[in-house]
Amino acid sequence: MAADTICAIATPPGQGGVGIVRVSGPAAARLIDAVAGPLPGPRRAVFRRFTDQDGSVLDEGLVLWFPAPGSFTGEDVAEFQGHGGPVLLDRLLRRLIGLGARLARPGEFSERAFLNGKLDLAQAEAVADLIAASSEAAARAAMESLRGVFSERVHTLTDSLIALRVHVESAIDFPDEEIDFLSDGAVADGLAQVQDELAAVRRAAGQGQVLRDGMTVVIAGRPNAGKSSLLNALAETDAAIVTEVAGTTRDVLRERIQIDGMPLHVIDTAGLRDSVNIVEQEGIRRAWRAIGEADRLLLVVDDRCGPDEAARRVLAGRPADTPVTLIRNKIDLSGAGPMTGEEGGIPVIRLSAKTGAGLEGLREHLKASMGYTAGEGNFTARRRHLQALDRAGECLDRAATQLVAGAGELVAEELRQAQQALAEITGEFTSEDLLGAIFSTFCIGK
Amino acid sequence: MYGELFQVIVRGGGHAVTHAARGAARMGSRTLLLTHNMETIGQMSCNPAIGGIGKGHLVKEVDAMGGVMAQAIDQGGIQFRTLNARKGPAVRATRAQADRALYKAAVRHAVENQPNLSVFQQAVDDLLIEQDRVVGAITQMGLVFRAPAVVLTVGTFLGGRIHIGLDNYQGGRAGDPPANALARRLRERPFRVGRLKTGTPPRIDGKTIDFSKLEEQPGDDPAPVFSFMGNRDQHPAQVSCWITHTNPRTHEIIRGALDRSPMYSGEIEGVGPRYCPSVEDKVVRFADKESHQIFIEPEGLDTHEVYPNGISTSLPFDVQLELVRSCVGLERAHITRPGYAIEYDYFDPRDLRPSLETRHVGGLFFAGQINGTTGYEEAAAQGLVAGINAARLVQDREPWNPGRDLAYMGVLIDDLITRGTKEPYRMFTSRAEYRLMLREDNADLRLTPVARRLGLVDDARWAAFEAKRETIEREQQRLRATLIRPADVSPADAQRVFGSPLRREQHLDELLRRPEVSYASLMSLDAAGQPVADPAVAEQVEIQAKYAGYLERQRDEIERSRRYESLPIPEDLDYGQVAGLSSEVRQKLADHRPASIGQAARIAGVTPAAVSLLLVHLRRGERDGQRRRA
Ligand SMILES: Nc1nc2c(ncn2[C@@H]2O[C@H](COP(=O)(O)OP(=O)(O)OP(=O)(O)O)[C@@H](O)[C@H]2O)c(=O)[nH]1
Ligand SMILES: [Mg+2]
Repeated sequence: MAADTICAIATPPGQGGVGIVRVSGPAAARLIDAVAGPLPGPRRAVFRRFTDQDGSVLDEGLVLWFPAPGSFTGEDVAEFQGHGGPVLLDRLLRRLIGLGARLARPGEFSERAFLNGKLDLAQAEAVADLIAASSEAAARAAMESLRGVFSERVHTLTDSLIALRVHVESAIDFPDEEIDFLSDGAVADGLAQVQDELAAVRRAAGQGQVLRDGMTVVIAGRPNAGKSSLLNALAETDAAIVTEVAGTTRDVLRERIQIDGMPLHVIDTAGLRDSVNIVEQEGIRRAWRAIGEADRLLLVVDDRCGPDEAARRVLAGRPADTPVTLIRNKIDLSGAGPMTGEEGGIPVIRLSAKTGAGLEGLREHLKASMGYTAGEGNFTARRRHLQALDRAGECLDRAATQLVAGAGELVAEELRQAQQALAEITGEFTSEDLLGAIFSTFCIGK
Repeated sequence: MYGELFQVIVRGGGHAVTHAARGAARMGSRTLLLTHNMETIGQMSCNPAIGGIGKGHLVKEVDAMGGVMAQAIDQGGIQFRTLNARKGPAVRATRAQADRALYKAAVRHAVENQPNLSVFQQAVDDLLIEQDRVVGAITQMGLVFRAPAVVLTVGTFLGGRIHIGLDNYQGGRAGDPPANALARRLRERPFRVGRLKTGTPPRIDGKTIDFSKLEEQPGDDPAPVFSFMGNRDQHPAQVSCWITHTNPRTHEIIRGALDRSPMYSGEIEGVGPRYCPSVEDKVVRFADKESHQIFIEPEGLDTHEVYPNGISTSLPFDVQLELVRSCVGLERAHITRPGYAIEYDYFDPRDLRPSLETRHVGGLFFAGQINGTTGYEEAAAQGLVAGINAARLVQDREPWNPGRDLAYMGVLIDDLITRGTKEPYRMFTSRAEYRLMLREDNADLRLTPVARRLGLVDDARWAAFEAKRETIEREQQRLRATLIRPADVSPADAQRVFGSPLRREQHLDELLRRPEVSYASLMSLDAAGQPVADPAVAEQVEIQAKYAGYLERQRDEIERSRRYESLPIPEDLDYGQVAGLSSEVRQKLADHRPASIGQAARIAGVTPAAVSLLLVHLRRGERDGQRRRA
């Protein structure tokens, strides 16, 4: 076999407790034998000494042996669980490399797992996400993806799409068979159903992407409304300078925070007003740019005055589909109680950035607006996945138009392209598979 | 002729052979056609029909390249129909019932009058092979013919075994001798051999059918024409097909006799086509379907015999008779020939190069049923490609490999050599990813220029083609240049043609893209000017306008895949040296031996990641090669 043997430290750097070194490749068994003595039984942990070339003891701990193909990578895998600590682990690694192993590139273990058919593409990417997961919720979602939740949903969706294509294609290729589904309602119903299904997967995946990359929340409003105070309150730091001078903040300030383990990018911006100061003008320009990138806007006003000129400008000037929440700040001064409600179709939250009253309501609101439901059913999705789903969705929409126009072959073309888009997430599908599905569904043949 | 030196020898009697022989001869090679029986040239050994979905596409492509099939059916067709007429142009297909005798006469005429082509009636008994290259053939009576290229198109004669009930005997198509000596010779080589099965229905004497009880299926009026050089006046008298059905009693009879079916008793090991199952298969696999269609197809104008399409069977004869007579209108039917199943060997087409030359014997080409396909049209297409490439081999030129984006012929050959086949392979439009481009109507536009370059198209066809192409382009230019203003169109006309008032000025070509507008309706407007007279040109202009957006998208897709497609994989690549491939993928690649990265990607089970690894390996190889040279 040409494949070489790779090794890497599998635990995060610098932490104590247990340190794991993982080995994958044809030399795994030989390495166990050289470092820790006779091969243990498959998938059984045995306690051993790890010895250096000269016989001196490097560390001691558990050795595990996973013969191919029943391992994570599908190859022979060895695991050495020692006493952590960068120095010990490093020496163990050097010993393995001395025996012919090679340091793994990032993601190489998952790559091998993928190549050996142990993971599909979406799962392999989930492994990478899991490793890079910045928050607990993201890690949990990556876990779900790894278990194939995302792949499974795309597979289910693909199956529905195939069922639909079977109807359309058989109507085209077997017109003498009295199975012309294009002219009865079956295809139209089936198409509508697949569209719904895709929309549901898209929503879940969109949320998954937010979980993975974090939602971007931009705080905007007139000077002195309390924007920087709000950022500090959410971040529980004093990252932003707060003064009673209007026009304190001149640049955008980004903070990465977590709400119940869910990542969030909060961006504080310069107060919006007409200014002659060049620095402030530039700050305001940057504020507008940030507004353009927002997944959600927090529009801060002083509760004592309500929506002002700056608020009106933001509402008119933001990208049309960016959701907004109106923050009525400084309720400790206005005397109103904290509350979450709605005004003219826009959610409104009354709070005090200074006292913290109502802040919990804002946190809950942000969580809800991400569509975050605790734990269950979330999975991470990459931008690539979302794009593929969007492309499939566009094809389905066009297929619906062509169906109404009666152009069966163009319906078929759109469905084919939709499936191609989905195949980018889960892998190939051939025309032979399609014919197989047709023949097992219908009695074809005169 | 005897002992003479030929450049290409073609062996067989079916549709592949006539196309291979004429193809090679037209390319300028001195060609010898060896057949065990001259009477089989142009013979339809299965059902008497040409064309159909996907198949009609092949016929028109073969026609555009000078093949005889379309012209022969225009002279021998007795019922013509356009299938999918109400669906879009890309999936429309022409089909015709043939008068077997007329069709055969037309083919034979074309073969006999082909310059450069000699015919000799002798079965090929053996091949002359020297150092893994074929150098000639030896006939049954020991005559030796030498040639650097040989095309074999042997059909079901290879290891043929016929089954009727539990009786079976060696044979090709009923009555033809099996080619066992040749089969043994080929089996000495490391070709992979598989076994397939196909069947025919019992034939019926039309005089014993009560047609008044059947549903009539007349041909289209006006009848479509197959050949780009043909016309309706060539068609002989037209007749109808008829439709009847099996019924629960038929199914009862079949179920009661399954223990005497060679298929269900395990006598037959060959794999039959899923799209053309025997009637016993239909009854077993789709048990809840109470009735299946039977198309009663005429065999010719001069015969009463009919072909009941839809009830191919290998049940014992007494059961055949009973099941036939259980159908409405067939109560007193007299069977003229029993139905049977035939098992035969085929050679795994993955052992072929894209040129259809075998990998194991240089200069030896396979075409037709020997490659696991079924159907006259599939055979003709392969025959043509094999004939062309045999001639090119002799002329020391690069082989011609049509792409999947050029022709169904390309789809056919690429499917065969990259994926192989497990059942008799038949063309369907769903096999073609670029279906919207590969239409019957534009087969000439796609292929005549290619064929002309190859030397297959005579001056008459070329002149006709160029005239058509120019007229199309001129008309398209005119449509792009002619502006229609709202004021040019009366409200009544606008309502009639567009279904609503014309709101802004637009060019004719934009207006033609609207789904509700046809070329004819658009040209009925005074402001639209003088339309073209040739309906084939009008059709092209209309279709190209309607599909414009989609064709654009498909061209993009082709462009993207071309980056892969063009990258060749060396035939002797050691997949063991490609780092990172799983053993399963490695095995698949070694079995299929794809000729290009594009082909590798289409093999089932070869993941995108595996393709990237292959790419990396090939690039690295290139770099190393350059370094070594430097
Ligand atoms: N009483 C009270 N004062 C607040 C509250 N929020 C902010 N302030 C005060 O309002 C003033 C302005 O606060 P900032 O957070 O700097 O306001 P800003 O919107 O960032 O102002 P610019 O950066 O100038 O645009 C400071 O003196 C804050 O202490 C609040 O909820 N209650
Ligand atoms: Mg500020």
